[in-house]
Formats: sequence, C-alpha cells, structure tokens
Amino acid sequence: MTRGASDAGPPADDPAAPPARDSPPHPERVRVTAPRAGSGPAAARSAVHRAEGGPTSDIAGVYVRSLIRSQLRLGIVFALGFVIATALFVLAIAVVPQLDRTFVLGVPLSWLLLGAGVYPLAITVGALYVRAASRNEARYRALAEDE
Amino acid sequence: MNAAIGYIAIAAVAVASALIGFYGLRVSRTTSDFYVASRTVRPWWNASAIGGEYLSAASFLGIAGLILLTGSSALWFPIGYTAGYLMLLLFVAAPLRRSGAYTIPDFTEARLDSLWARRVTSTLVIVIGWFYIVPQLQGAALTVRITTGLPAWVGSVAVAVIVAVIVAAGGMRSITFVQAFQFWLKLTALAIPVVAILLFVGDVQPALPPVAAFPTSAGPGDLEVYRTVSLMVALLLGTLGLPHVLVRFYTNPDGVAARRTTVIVLVLLSVFYLFPTAFGFLGRAFAPDLASSGDADALVLLLPDRLIPGPLGDVLTALVIAGAFAAFLSTSSGLVVSLAGVISQDLLGGSVRGFRIAAVLSSFVPLVVALATEPAGLAGSVGLVFAFTASTLCPVLLLGIWWRRLTARGAIAGMVTGAVLSGVAILGGGAVAASLPALRPLLEQPAAWTVPVAVLVTVLVSLGDRRGIPRGTDRFLARLHVPEAITRPGEG
Repeated sequence: MTRGASDAGPPADDPAAPPARDSPPHPERVRVTAPRAGSGPAAARSAVHRAEGGPTSDIAGVYVRSLIRSQLRLGIVFALGFVIATALFVLAIAVVPQLDRTFVLGVPLSWLLLGAGVYPLAITVGALYVRAASRNEARYRALAEDE
Repeated sequence: MNAAIGYIAIAAVAVASALIGFYGLRVSRTTSDFYVASRTVRPWWNASAIGGEYLSAASFLGIAGLILLTGSSALWFPIGYTAGYLMLLLFVAAPLRRSGAYTIPDFTEARLDSLWARRVTSTLVIVIGWFYIVPQLQGAALTVRITTGLPAWVGSVAVAVIVAVIVAAGGMRSITFVQAFQFWLKLTALAIPVVAILLFVGDVQPALPPVAAFPTSAGPGDLEVYRTVSLMVALLLGTLGLPHVLVRFYTNPDGVAARRTTVIVLVLLSVFYLFPTAFGFLGRAFAPDLASSGDADALVLLLPDRLIPGPLGDVLTALVIAGAFAAFLSTSSGLVVSLAGVISQDLLGGSVRGFRIAAVLSSFVPLVVALATEPAGLAGSVGLVFAFTASTLCPVLLLGIWWRRLTARGAIAGMVTGAVLSGVAILGGGAVAASLPALRPLLEQPAAWTVPVAVLVTVLVSLGDRRGIPRGTDRFLARLHVPEAITRPGEG
C-alpha cells in the first residue's frame, strides 16, 4: 500500500473522523517512519490478515484485545447495573405495604409499578450503553489511526 | 360470541398473509441483491420487523392469561422478554452483525472451525424452533375453538398449512416490511381495545372489588425468589439464542446500526407489553371466572365482547382475533424460514427443492407435537423454550464472542450438557418432582442452575483441550469487535 492510498482513506471515513478529533491530543512522541503496510487506518485490517497463523504480539493486535476487554467490561457493568437497579426497585415495592393499599384506577400501585416501571430502566440502560460502546470504538479508532 | 366474526377475522388475516407472501415472492425476485436492499433498511423499520417476528402467542395471549391466573408474578414474563433484548444489545448485537453469519450454526462453524460444532448447533436450533412453534399452534387452536366453535385442531392445522405454503412458495423471506407491518397490527389490535374498554367501561360493575381482584398474596410483595431469578436467567439469556432473531440483525448495515436498532426494539417492546399487562389487570377485575374455567389464555379474545356488547364490541373482537392470528403466523413463519434454512443447508444440500421440503417438515413436526400434547399455559411453555435456549446456545454465543480460549470440543460439551440437563428437567421434571417435591422449583424453572453448569463445562473442556484454540481465532475476534470503518477503509 502506498502513502497516497492511506491518505485517501480519511475522506471516505468521514463519519469516523469527528470522534477521532474529539479524543484528547496524545502527549507522547509519534513515530514517523517510511510507508509500510501497518500504518494508517488500515493498521487493524492488516493485523487482521496477519493473525492467520503467526503471533499477534504487534501493536495492532494489542489494540484489538484491549478494545474487546473494554467492551466486555462495559457490557458487564451495564448488565450488573440493570440487574441491581431492578432488584432494588422490586425490593422497594415489596417493603412498602402502602403501595399495595393505594389504588389507581382500581389497581394497586405496587402492581402498576412492577408492570410498567422496569421498562424505562431497560431503555435508559440501553441508550447509555450505545453511547459508551461507540465511545470505546472511537477511542480504538483514534489509536489505530495514530499508530 | 358471534362465530361469524371469528371466521371473518381469521379468513382476512390468512388471505392477507398469503397475498403478502406471494406478492413478496415477486419482490424478492426483483430484488437482485439482498445486501443492497439491506443497506436501505432504516433502523425503525428493522426494529419493527424484529418486534413483529418476536411477539408470539405467548406475548399476545399468554401474558394477560397468566396475570389473570397467577397474579403479579406473571409480570416478570414481559419484563424478561424485553430485558432479553437489553442483554442482546450489551453482548451480542454489534459483534454478531459484524460476524457476517446468517444463522447461529454459521457463526459456530466460522468461529470454531468445526463441522461437528455446526452440526450440534444446527440440531439444537431445529429442536428449539420446533418447540417454539408448538405454543403458536396451540394458541391458534385455542383461538379457533373460542371464537368459532370449530374443533381446536382446525386452528393448529390451518396455521401450520398456511405457514408451510407461504414459506415453501418463497414468500416471507427477507421481507422486512411484512414483519414490520405485523408489529404495528399486533400493537393496534391490543391498544385500541384497551383504550376503548377504559373509555366505555365506566358503568360496568367489576366482578370483584379491587381488594379481592388484586390480593396482596398474589402481589409483587409475595415474591418466590428462586423461581423469579431462574425465570429471569432463562428469558434474559434465552433471547440471545433464538433462531429467528439473528437473521433480522443482518439487515442492519453495520454494528453501530445493529445497536441502534436494538434500542428501538427495547422501546417498541416496552410500549407493546403495557397492553397485555392492562388486559391482565382488567381481566382480574372483570372476568375472574375465566381463571377457573381453564381458558385464561383466551382472556384477550373474550374481554372486549364481554365489556362492550354490540357492534363496537364485535369490531374490537375481530381486531384482537386478527392480531392473535398475526402473532401466530408471523412468529411461526419467521421460525420456519430459519429452520428450513438450517435443515436444507445441513441435510438437503441447500437446493431450492430442499428448502421447500424442509419448510414443510419444519411446519408439520411441531403440528404433530401440538396435536399430541395437552396445551399448557402459553407463556409458561414459551418460558421453558427460553430456558432450554439459554442453557444450550447462549453459552456458546457469549463465550464465542468474548472468550478467546473457547474450543470446538468445549462448545460441543457445553451444548450437550445444557441440552441434557434442561431437557430432562423440562420433560421429565414432573415425574421426579412427584417423588421429591423439594426439587419441584429447580425442575420447573431449571435455567438458574443449568446455564451455569453448561458454561462451566464449556470453559473447563475448552481449557483442557490439548488441540488448543482454533486457527484464526484472533482474526475472527478482531472482525467481531473492530468497528467497520477500520476493517474496510474504502476497500483500499
């Protein structure tokens, strides 16, 4: 791949560019070398091809593994958050007996809360996760492009 | 109830489905490239289509029936069905879209580089699909018996035949807008009756006073912890492995769109499930007699006519019958399409003729099961299918996406363990529980222990596998997780 080819990359990736610019500037020195297959936005892709047989101890492989780890951590944190919040919500309904005795449209408030209360929580957790997961990917993208 | 309404509504939905199916045949022929089409599908359409395929007899009829029957413990079913999509979003949606796999067997074969892992997965997908179709056919039997007075088997046979014909003829394939339409039909068919009942019911006296209709003993405070936790494990994790869900994600252009679609699915399901819940609450106050007559699952079909007699009641009844049949047909045809795909690819050489034979086979095996078995509660039967899926396909999917050390032997050992344990608990649990009543909850809701055991077996066998991880694991994992713009930079 020539330098020109990798320079032509970013305009094609326009949606990807803004998040990359948002990330903080990297204070460490950036190594500038002659054009090679591993440079530019194609770094990860070439790592992907190289991974076939040989070791992936190169920097692109490290980036991919750290992306996977951070996405997994994110998923687990959000899943636990949802489960714990739901459990607390249900516990709160269970320990407040007044909710069983307060009727709205002839239905106890405790039933209405359990019947409708968990959904907004699920949607909120989901929406927050999408933003956080995209942020992880943008960070990865910035790293892979800087390499 | 006026039987003519039942005939008209059922015939209308059947004819509409067949027409859309055959019209869709022309569409899918003129669409030269599925990939081209897929990139034009917007997340809202896609999410509606996922909702349309997902909301089955259990959601449309079963939840309201179970609320009437058992009280607030039934409210966990819709919560679990919805939160399952949250888990799908957190752990599966984007990576699975990026994997490029159409079906779960495709995914396991590509990930583990093993034909045997594929065969075991295919077998499980077929079993799960069959047992998921059975409650749809039983729901159809119930609907036909209640609304027309015809023998129950007519409903099961009608749905099985319609689905087999439509799928074998080539309709319903990759037709996102049909399934999307089904979602909005199902939502309307429940929402309008609920609103109408709330508006017009003012002068009808409830059969039970609120305190008796909603006793504290059946309320949220009286929680059976083990059963609830185990049900949640089954529903949250079982959603990940449903055969007909994955292929819908493929119509998203990329992983980020797959995530966005899933959030919209969460919103759509959350809105939808408010209405079966409302039906359940209304049923407890106005139709408690249905609980004792054994027709609790027919609550949604019977309540509009009971509370609003006259022409308006007839129209609302026709609407819910149409919605119910849309539920049976859309879920069954979605399942039959994915099953026929798996069967024809793995057993019949992947030809069009093979697909047609497989479609007929996929409809008629569950029909035989549905006719031979006594219908249990719809929500409960589907819950058990989720428990089986969570114990078999979910560990392989999750570990395959997130754990580098997974091997084909580990995956197969885990799937077989999960299948045997949960299968025995579900099918043979009744006999064992009769002699050992203490084990009853463990056998009736097995997911809380079968899923961890299956995961543990998968992990231990993988770690002990001397052949090591499959070649190309790192490459495949990078493909699952690296955002698309990086992996394909202008194809330069």
